[in-house]
Amino acid sequence: MTLAPAQAPLMVIDDVHKWLGKNHILRGVNMTVAPGEIVCVLGPSGSGKSTLLRCINGLEAVESGTVEVGGDLVGYKIHKGQLFEHTERESAKMRRRIGMVFQHFNLFTHMTASENVSYGPRRVLGLSKAEANEQGLEALRKVGLKDKAGSYPAQLSGGQQQRVAIARSLAMKPQVMLFDEPTSALDPELVGDVLQVMKRVAEEGMTMVVVTHEIGFAREVADRVIFMDEGRVIESGPAAQVLDNPSHERTANFLRHVR
Amino acid sequence: MIVDSHQAPAHDNTGKPPVTVLDPTRAPDGHVAGIQAKRRKPYGQMATGTLIVAIAALFIWSQAANENLDWSSVGEFMFHPVIFKGIAVTLELSVFSMLISVVLAFGVALMCQSQNRLAAVVGRLYVWFFRGVPLLVQILIWFNLAVLYPKILGTDTNQLISGFTAGLCALSLAESGYMAEIIRGGILSVSKGQTDAGLSIGLTRGQALRRIVLPQTIRVIIPPTGNQFIGLLKASSLVSAIGGSDLLTQTQLIYGQNFKIVPLLIVATAWYLVLVSVASIGQYFLEQKFSPDGAAARRSFRELIRRNVLLRNHSDLPRKAVQP
Ligand SMILES: Nc1ncnc2c1ncn2[C@@H]1O[C@H](COP(=O)(O)OP(=O)(O)OP(=O)(O)O)[C@@H](O)[C@H]1O
Ligand SMILES: [Mg+2]
Repeated sequence: MTLAPAQAPLMVIDDVHKWLGKNHILRGVNMTVAPGEIVCVLGPSGSGKSTLLRCINGLEAVESGTVEVGGDLVGYKIHKGQLFEHTERESAKMRRRIGMVFQHFNLFTHMTASENVSYGPRRVLGLSKAEANEQGLEALRKVGLKDKAGSYPAQLSGGQQQRVAIARSLAMKPQVMLFDEPTSALDPELVGDVLQVMKRVAEEGMTMVVVTHEIGFAREVADRVIFMDEGRVIESGPAAQVLDNPSHERTANFLRHVR
Repeated sequence: MIVDSHQAPAHDNTGKPPVTVLDPTRAPDGHVAGIQAKRRKPYGQMATGTLIVAIAALFIWSQAANENLDWSSVGEFMFHPVIFKGIAVTLELSVFSMLISVVLAFGVALMCQSQNRLAAVVGRLYVWFFRGVPLLVQILIWFNLAVLYPKILGTDTNQLISGFTAGLCALSLAESGYMAEIIRGGILSVSKGQTDAGLSIGLTRGQALRRIVLPQTIRVIIPPTGNQFIGLLKASSLVSAIGGSDLLTQTQLIYGQNFKIVPLLIVATAWYLVLVSVASIGQYFLEQKFSPDGAAARRSFRELIRRNVLLRNHSDLPRKAVQP
């Protein structure tokens, strides 16, 4: 476990604000993520964690501030010193570099596991059918579900569905993967398998931002833990420091409750 | 004898043995797990059944023996070429207007769901209008289009709009209003997470809608669409009002000459029932094919007959013992 390496950051979030309706959800979020870094985001319900992830991969547009991934802005481009909003096509192109794993898996219900994981490589990356299948199967193997390739989501357990969802994201070979409470919709006995897979993905050097309530996972895997409250990052540091010795009263309070 | 469990009938002076207090957790009909009980005789059902059979027999007798009914004419015209031409037109009208309406309806449903407010409003107005105006009125409007526009693209409107084309236009548009709502419902039935997931692997919004959401709506759309088609088969008879040469028009054509009104209406009735039955069977298989568990192949034809013709459900199957 290393601290953020002294490299150019892969992701820079600079003073991001987001309103949903009349609610000011993100109130100036700043954070940077180095390549290969695992960042766990903690925070009470409604603090804006999901919204932050959705802003990072451009599912939601930010009202002010910038999100930069791999040197490119999310949702905008700079042309001759002027900021232009991305076209739909450009946004989509940006999103394929940023994987996302959802709380409720969101597997394509009309496709088998192998179709789910090879759809992106085939239709978005434009690989040949054989290459896409290979890339998909490789991802399924990584999550330990190669033998479930022919199953439909409805025939899989929640934990298996989530692992296929992780594989679907992996198959796109993204620069960074975002996880939004990937285990909180699962039965307790299924949580371990999914965390195991995430650990393996982390060990292979993937850059990850993980919103989670699994303190154990954060302690073991995260390079850095971030605590969010009311739309702001109020604490950020090495896992051990934030989890065992939080400097903020609200962090301490929250940790007392989830433990 | 049922005794309230609050009373304690330990002794009574009639000399009869004490009555067992019924377990209040048991259902009053005695159907409790593991208990063998004689079924009540369904006297009520037997009586109703007898009555129905009697009435049906009377009705059939009154028809069969009715001189005015002229069964020989029914037989004569049942397979008459003029009738067959009408059946062909009815089928063409129904199938083509269904196809056209589905295409239109997808467009309208997408408009209704669009981020573009104007498109959404136009979509809603479309549905409102074509669902709101009675079909017969729409058919008459199309037929009389020449009054509004004597010429369309340099051609005489009356030449362009025959009874058939007027009927086709009216049926397609009216139907598309209903179909748009069915498709919109289908789109709404797919969770937003599917779109999010599609977007997250790099699809555009349009692609996510077309390739991820729409395919998942099919299962929801198919059953009501089957119903709509059956409705359309019957509604197509309204074009007889403008001589649309459909089955009913042809029937009327014949009885206009020979005045055998009732026999010919029986011919039409029989054919409509045949068409609708065929459509129902088709609907059944489509539904099975798109059923979520993919059980299509496993359901047999017998099941179809059992469910749709005999109209039976599972209530007469042996009751499963409920474990307490
Ligand atoms: N479409 C919306 N319109 C208005 N407010 C919204 C909308 N979606 C979410 N919110 C509000 O935004 C706030 C932050 O939501 P978000 O889902 O980001 O929180 P979260 O930290 O992920 O919470 P949780 O732990 O419950 O998932 C919440 O107060 C929520 O009520
Ligand atoms: Mg959330």
